[in-house]
Amino acid sequence: MAADSGDSYDEYAALLDAVRGIRWPARSAVRGGIPGAHTSRLRGISAEFTEYRPYRQGDDPRRIDWKLFARSDRAYIRLSNDRAILPTMIVLDASASMAFPVATNAKWKLAAQLGVGLGSVARNSGDPVGLVIAREEEPVLLAPRMRRSVTHEIIRAVSATAPSGRAPLSPSVSIAAQSGGRLVIVSDFLGDAADLLATASRWVVAGREVHAIHVVAHEELNPSRESAMVADPESEQIRRPMIGEARDRYVEAFARWRDELAHDWSDAGVAYTMAVTGEESPDHLIRRIAAIRTGAAIA
Amino acid sequence: MTFLAPAFLWGAAVVAAGIVALHFIVTRQPRASILPTARFVPDSAATAIVRDARPSDLLLMLLRILVILATGAALAKPVIKPGRRADGRVFLMDASRSVASVAEATDSVKKLFRAGDAIIVFDSAARSLGVAGPDSLAGIRRADARGNLSAALIASLREGSIARDRADSLELVIVSPFADEEHDAATDSVRKLWPGRARLVRVAARTDSGLVGGGAIEIRSSPDDPLAVTTSLASKQQPRATALIVRTGMISPDDSVWASTDSHVLIVWPIDGRPMFAVPRNPADQSGGIVSADAQLISAFNRQWTFPSDSLRGGRIVARWADGEASAIEKIIGQGCVRSVAVPVAAVGDLVIRPEFVALVREIVAPCGEARSDKPLAPTSIASLGGRGPLASADAFAARQDIASPLAPWLFGIALAAALAELFVRQIYPSSASRDSIAMSATSGASS
Repeated sequence: MAADSGDSYDEYAALLDAVRGIRWPARSAVRGGIPGAHTSRLRGISAEFTEYRPYRQGDDPRRIDWKLFARSDRAYIRLSNDRAILPTMIVLDASASMAFPVATNAKWKLAAQLGVGLGSVARNSGDPVGLVIAREEEPVLLAPRMRRSVTHEIIRAVSATAPSGRAPLSPSVSIAAQSGGRLVIVSDFLGDAADLLATASRWVVAGREVHAIHVVAHEELNPSRESAMVADPESEQIRRPMIGEARDRYVEAFARWRDELAHDWSDAGVAYTMAVTGEESPDHLIRRIAAIRTGAAIA
Repeated sequence: MTFLAPAFLWGAAVVAAGIVALHFIVTRQPRASILPTARFVPDSAATAIVRDARPSDLLLMLLRILVILATGAALAKPVIKPGRRADGRVFLMDASRSVASVAEATDSVKKLFRAGDAIIVFDSAARSLGVAGPDSLAGIRRADARGNLSAALIASLREGSIARDRADSLELVIVSPFADEEHDAATDSVRKLWPGRARLVRVAARTDSGLVGGGAIEIRSSPDDPLAVTTSLASKQQPRATALIVRTGMISPDDSVWASTDSHVLIVWPIDGRPMFAVPRNPADQSGGIVSADAQLISAFNRQWTFPSDSLRGGRIVARWADGEASAIEKIIGQGCVRSVAVPVAAVGDLVIRPEFVALVREIVAPCGEARSDKPLAPTSIASLGGRGPLASADAFAARQDIASPLAPWLFGIALAAALAELFVRQIYPSSASRDSIAMSATSGASS
């Protein structure tokens, strides 16, 4: 097991090195009192000056700017923006559809790298980071922690997981949202997409920052032109021939579904990002995700 | 080697090419694979025509091609062509009752025979000995049947079609005494079908009359039987055979024994009972006359009996009614024969003393078998048999389509063995669809 962990760290070492220095600020001011890296909704007494406000009864006299009082004979309170932490919960979809292509498991590997990388970026920003892996068995749950070892714990968790089954993602998102201010859902959204969107929408309304990272395999976008009987690994009933013009119709239908998905999630206030295997390095994807400031979808 | 029906071989080649094409272009369920987004593929029939880069079942394809090609080659009748020579001969050797000595005819054939010549022995029918050679003539005996040159000439045409591959030209050699009775109305016409001249080798004709000397006619009847008068009139000329006419009573075993010896003729001619082999005619009718070999009698007869067709099997019609039905038949028993006569003899009138009726009775009591004639064939007919001009060109004979191919059974055997092997191989190797299912299961298992 130790050897396996070592191998896993080596696998993610380059990624962790590449994402060092990336800042992932909150998309909006966060609430919360624990000092952190994100702009807080609260105004406090930090060294970062923002404005003066006339003293009102009840204010702490220690916050009166005495030098200004001496010059103007008026009592003003020095205000500054508070900084707060943003607990980040990463939800990884470990259903059978993520184990694709069968030979490489590229979708799951990309999802794991995004999870580890984003977790590391959040941790480096001083945010507590947690992880939920939705799988057929009991979900893997790592509560948000600020300690340095949390990145290694995430690596261990994803390395020990093999995607399988058809577990719904929505309950895992609900669990994660209860303890996180920022929610990152890494999935192919081929499971309970409607429930997931509804759940995410509720948490967005509740003030959570939700990121939806749509993992798509290159082979799904551009399947082989060789005739094949394709089967859904999560549903035995879905077994269809990919023959002739059926491939073109598939490409059209899949593109239409992706567009609708991006539109729906963006409308719900979720930062939507599509990650295609083999097209973009994970660290570059992480930079894109971390750079999102609005709710617009990024494909 | 050549093929008698090469079209089958070409057809088999076309079919084999089709099989090869079908092995490249097959209708089957395509290869199975996993695709998480399979739900976006339109649902349609689960089979498709796909083109393989290489045949999926090479052994099966080879076996199927072997079945088709071997069957086609067998149907094409491969034969090995013998060496050709300038001329060949087809012998027609007479072994009928007209020949005095079959040995003489055999010697004549042996003198002219060369390897590769064909021999046909004929009497009333012809049978080919092929190219077996004169040694096979040793067992030939003279037949009691009348010779039939027409049948022999037809057989020679058939043999000519066989021999056309062995020689450039063919000579017809007829070894026969050329008796008149061997010639019939069709002989000249059939002879003209042989496209060349013939060599006629005359052998001695049989000179004995074949008649049994010292014959007598005996009648077992009632004292007032009018037929007794006719038999006495017929006996005025020396009877050619010893005959017993039974008019009354049953045929005894002694009668049968007597009829089977010494060329005796037993005639069953009941006065009012059922003649042997005959059945009642229903309804009875009348006939206006009777015809036999040399006798024609015109008179009214009440026909009460008829000989059914199965009663004529193995027998001979001795006399016929005017409409062609048998009125008297003969069956050979041992060395003699028994005859059944269904002609009523009227007790009134002058029928029994009319010369035509006496002549009819003489035909009925004639020796067993067909009458033989010693008359030689007319010179014009002999000249017609010989013909003129060169030898018949081998190309003038139609190529035979019924030549047995010695290789065909072996080829059929190979085709059958390959077909059985194909069944066996098909059982052993799973079909493409099955393999796909297995692969599908394997990948599903791997993913889980």
